[in-house]
Amino acid sequence: MLKSIIRKEILNNLFGYKFSIIIILSTILILVSIFVMYRDYCLALENYEILRMKSDDPVVVIPPTPLGIFTKGLDENLCRSYGSGLAGQISVSSKQQSVNILFKLFTAPDLLYIIKVILSLCAMLFAFDIICGEKEIGTLRQSLSCSLKRPILIIGKWVGGFTSFIVPFFMAVLIGTILVTLSPMVDINAQNWAKLGLFLLSSVIYLAVFFSLGLLISCLTHRSSTSLVISLFVWAMLVFLIPNLGNILARQFVEIPTVQQLELKREHSWIKNRFEKRRADRSEHEEMDSRMRAENDKLTEDYRNRFNRLVKVSQNITRFSPTAAFTFLATDIMGTGMAEERRLKRAVLQYKDILGDWDMDEKGKNPDLGYQRSSVKEVLGQGGLSNCLILILFNILFFTGAHVAFLRYDVR
Amino acid sequence: MWLSCDMMSGDFSLKTTNKEIPMLKTIIAREFLNNILNLRFMIGLVLCIIVTIACIMILAHDYKKELDDYNLRANLQDEFLNNYYSINYARLLRPQKPPERFRPLIIGIPGKENAESFDDNPLPILFPPLDFLFIVTIIMSLLAILFSYDAITGERQSGTLRLVIANSISRTKILFGKLVGGAASLLIPFILSLLVGALYISVNPAIQWDGFAWAELAFLTAASCTFITLFYLLGLMLSTFSRYSATSILNCLFLWVLLILVIPNMCPYISAQLYRIPSIKETERKDSEIERHSLEVFWERNNETAKKFKSHYGKLWSEFESMQFGGIGDLFSRVDPKYREAAHQRAAADPEFKRMMDAFVEEVEKAREEMVRIRGESDKLWEDLNTKAAFQTKLAKNLACISPYANFVYVARDLTGTGLRSLEYFERTEKEHRKKWYGPYITKKFKDAQKNDPTVTYDSFLDISDRPRFVFKEEALKDKLNEVLPYWGILVLFNVLFFVAAFAGFMRYDVR
Repeated sequence: MLKSIIRKEILNNLFGYKFSIIIILSTILILVSIFVMYRDYCLALENYEILRMKSDDPVVVIPPTPLGIFTKGLDENLCRSYGSGLAGQISVSSKQQSVNILFKLFTAPDLLYIIKVILSLCAMLFAFDIICGEKEIGTLRQSLSCSLKRPILIIGKWVGGFTSFIVPFFMAVLIGTILVTLSPMVDINAQNWAKLGLFLLSSVIYLAVFFSLGLLISCLTHRSSTSLVISLFVWAMLVFLIPNLGNILARQFVEIPTVQQLELKREHSWIKNRFEKRRADRSEHEEMDSRMRAENDKLTEDYRNRFNRLVKVSQNITRFSPTAAFTFLATDIMGTGMAEERRLKRAVLQYKDILGDWDMDEKGKNPDLGYQRSSVKEVLGQGGLSNCLILILFNILFFTGAHVAFLRYDVR
Repeated sequence: MWLSCDMMSGDFSLKTTNKEIPMLKTIIAREFLNNILNLRFMIGLVLCIIVTIACIMILAHDYKKELDDYNLRANLQDEFLNNYYSINYARLLRPQKPPERFRPLIIGIPGKENAESFDDNPLPILFPPLDFLFIVTIIMSLLAILFSYDAITGERQSGTLRLVIANSISRTKILFGKLVGGAASLLIPFILSLLVGALYISVNPAIQWDGFAWAELAFLTAASCTFITLFYLLGLMLSTFSRYSATSILNCLFLWVLLILVIPNMCPYISAQLYRIPSIKETERKDSEIERHSLEVFWERNNETAKKFKSHYGKLWSEFESMQFGGIGDLFSRVDPKYREAAHQRAAADPEFKRMMDAFVEEVEKAREEMVRIRGESDKLWEDLNTKAAFQTKLAKNLACISPYANFVYVARDLTGTGLRSLEYFERTEKEHRKKWYGPYITKKFKDAQKNDPTVTYDSFLDISDRPRFVFKEEALKDKLNEVLPYWGILVLFNVLFFVAAFAGFMRYDVR
């Protein structure tokens, strides 16, 4: 019986208008997105090559990851060049795209964006009338009039509906990935393939959350128009409202000065030191420098502690939305997320300390940063697993809710 | 014809009655009531009011914090400049940018200082913050589509459309009535929540808005209404081209996704690939190469001069050399001020020495001019980069105009001073102020200081406590309107286009 229901659901979807329009939309978007982001990656790579080849100053710059084609995340930030600045601080040079200021207005249209915003909407559109739609046309009571158990029916509908939605998505991603990897500019190693596989797996779990949610709403309503309205509002809340509100809400709980204030204080401390050094004896200069550095380090440390707390609070608030949990998970897996950013900054700070003790005369050239992006194991250990568990939990919660609601559903 | 409504069931029926009752009014009232008693209106109302008010309250609190931070920064800088200013640190004169006055509604675009700091907050890249723009562009546009997608198809499916058409009422009136009634019911929750937000802003002591700010808010509301009705018309148009509501909503969402989520985000990337600009880092490198070369030319010419003077002045030159040339040609103030003083005293005592020193100053000045001329080439480099970047931005901006979302964002941001234009405006006014005041002021101050004490260099402290302070003034409303009117015009054009298409579709619509 389960097989028949799954088959019926798949065939029903395949011949529907909804299927055609959603599949056309998602396929075009995925392919265009991969192509556009591939070209963007080539530009970033060109920029990196220029920086790397001609660098004679102790400037740190890491190459863009080819996985940024699929999940750009913070790659733009990560691939800035870090050099030595005033008062022993680190100066940052923004990348190529900072010149075109319009990038600041819009979001990168990468695969992550397509999945988290557009495909989640498609998943809900696939599921919103699974139960109430059949009730309206009267086929639900016919199905249940025979010896068919409700749990079997709902499982069959879920499996059939989700399969018919996810298979075309996979095909589109596969075609896009093959086309991109054929390019000599993109070098994806085994580690990256593993990351890409994990990213796709997490995408499936994420889309399943929205499919289950659509199913739940369908089981709680009796008319598909009501179900659609509720589905769209819940989608807007989970995809846009909670993640975007969480960011500004977190700032209400954590007091943190602006970056401008921090930079200003550092600059003042450096200039003040220079003035005072001129008045003081040369023997005192070293002590004055170290005092200034200590003062600046204290300022920076205080700021970073507050900032880390802000990020933590923000992450905890936004995790109420599966979209936020998925964004953190996907960007961390692909090495373009918050965890990678923190890791790189730590590495740059350590490098700065190494550089301070480096004897150029003896060793000839500047030391190598030797930075490698996090491995899959590291990502999962650094909170990736908890984000994945949150997504699974959402799935269980919504599907159980749908199951319970359907058991009590009035099919007449 | 008049409308009867069963309030319990929410059902409506049309009865033919007195012909004097204006048909259009009835259609509008019917559409309005039909929407208001619907579940989507309740959800929309609750969502809109809660989100808008919560958003304004949180952002107002945020604004107060930013204002305090700005005041602190401005005071710190003022105090610091009074005690530690020298010409070599001219960048200290850069004024602090105050938070935008519309910050309680719209979050401004971060300036360069955030992107170029090691301690920047990257979270907003992953999750753009929630503000009024989000409410209008995402929530209200979605709500507008949900209100109109079944305006025609829904009535056709329930059979009421042919009943209405069977009466002596033109299709134009039906369509117009549906537009006015539907748009009115849609804009009620929006305007209501905005009014509550405006009330909160007006009673908040931290937010001081003048008449112009309130006028800008009025224009912003009008632009938002244009944007919302545009999506209502899009839904209405697609409804007239569909037979079933299910098909209509799918088409609507398909277009909504394209217009709001896809086209605007793709355009900057497409423009970056269509029109390449030189690498910033490469330009920076060329710039430093030019600077290095200019310095080399400067030192080389000075060395030649020194050789020439040595053979010409002999012992006198050696004496001058032992005084480190009195600091002449010392670009980085490395020479001890005591040598400068000694050279000046020697020149005052010996006319021959003075002649040699003046000739040397003249030669050094020529070398400096040559150095400045070479450095001028780097200005061309940056100018070229900026021109190309501006063209690329313009291309992206124009490409994005095919989406109403992008047009609305330009209108809302430029009108409220929270967009790219406001960043440019701040930089421009600040530069003009520096050029007008600080240039002549600092030169005069430096000359006065040197007159009093000849050992004063570019690195010495300069008292500028009586300097003219920079006060940021918002751009005039008229200028802002001039800038946004073309984009607003495109939004109106979209409205007209969708209405005409809806009209054409409805005229040929089979109501059976």
